[in-house]
Amino acid sequence: MYKLINTTFGNQIVVRTNDNAYIPMDEANTDYQAYLKFLADGGTPLPADEGAA
Amino acid sequence: MTYGNVNVETVTTSTPGGILGAGNASIMKNRIINGAMTIDQRNSGASVTPSNAQYLTDRFSALLTQSSKFSAQQNAGSVTPPAGFTNYLGITSLSAYSIGSGDAFGVLQKIEGYNVADLGWGTANAKTVTLSFWIRSSLTGTFGGSILNSDVSRSYPFTYTVSSANTWTQISITIVGDTSGTWLTTNGIGLNINFSLGTGATYNGTAGSWAGAYYLSATGATSVVGTNGATFYITGVQLEVGSSATGFEYRQYGQELALCQRYAYIPNSSGNVYTTFAVGYVYNSTLGLATITFPVTMRVTPTFASSGNFQINAGSSTLNSSALSLNQGSPYTAVIGATISGGTTGYGASLSAQNTSSALLTFSAEL
Repeated sequence: MYKLINTTFGNQIVVRTNDNAYIPMDEANTDYQAYLKFLADGGTPLPADEGAA
Repeated sequence: MTYGNVNVETVTTSTPGGILGAGNASIMKNRIINGAMTIDQRNSGASVTPSNAQYLTDRFSALLTQSSKFSAQQNAGSVTPPAGFTNYLGITSLSAYSIGSGDAFGVLQKIEGYNVADLGWGTANAKTVTLSFWIRSSLTGTFGGSILNSDVSRSYPFTYTVSSANTWTQISITIVGDTSGTWLTTNGIGLNINFSLGTGATYNGTAGSWAGAYYLSATGATSVVGTNGATFYITGVQLEVGSSATGFEYRQYGQELALCQRYAYIPNSSGNVYTTFAVGYVYNSTLGLATITFPVTMRVTPTFASSGNFQINAGSSTLNSSALSLNQGSPYTAVIGATISGGTTGYGASLSAQNTSSALLTFSAEL
């Protein structure tokens, strides 16, 4: 499962919740590619909390 | 003054069989990173029972479709490596598993496209390469593996023979370059090399020729995971241009480490329980921000994870951190957020281990 995080810099980062890994939105990052496949397969990440992490 | 050209196929020494270089000479001829299994950032020599795609020694990952069928460890079994080497990657089978048709087990290295761009694979000018390595197994017989492109639509199954059990044997396999298919020359996967530990029929092909198929090994190859306690030790892995294997390219430790750090940078506090990892400032009362500069440019913006206990040192205060996060990243730097309480906004700060030798940051930009 994935969760979105708002950062203090105004961007978002994806967190892979099973190991708490922070995945940047870089399309050449293989973990982000896996996240995009999760979305393409119909997955929905947990929404970001209010405020910034 | 002018100089002529010297064109040679091989440069030999006065020692019979001693070959210094061939083809494209010797500097950075080896497209494999950490072929001598020297660098083990993640496991530091500890044994792991890997999950699929988990990294073993640096740049070498596990391929598996069933869990807990083998363990992996740098220098498993503590045998004497081949002459000239001090390390190897040791695989030990944990059961006598009967391979299913869709099963696959192996040790894999993915080579970045930039590092094989000159091979010209996928064109009429594809270069011949030679894969060489040292192998020691408790099993004898025919073993297998494969070279594949990034989308696994092209593959070249190969075999090699281990005649004597528990004896280091050097293997050399020459592969005519593939003139078909798409082979990336970017920061994506240029090619995959798989050393099979057992592969089902679905992923086995005919050895010694290119196929437009996803093959991970060759038909008839030995299954290491099929024998409980079987060992498979490998080192001295080299992939080079040319039709013959030349002497292994030994690199300086720092050089090899830097090559590995393009894909994984894992600073830890094993040498100092207050190791400082990054410097920055206190953003507000609950967050410290610290920037870490990577020792080499990473392949892509890396994924970040951490384990252990950390603290923010700000002014004269030491503030324990309850969690670390990635606030901003690039292939060059990362800004780490440390959750704290009682911070004073604007103070200069550093992020360090909190009196522990097991604090660890992991930045992964693997292929």
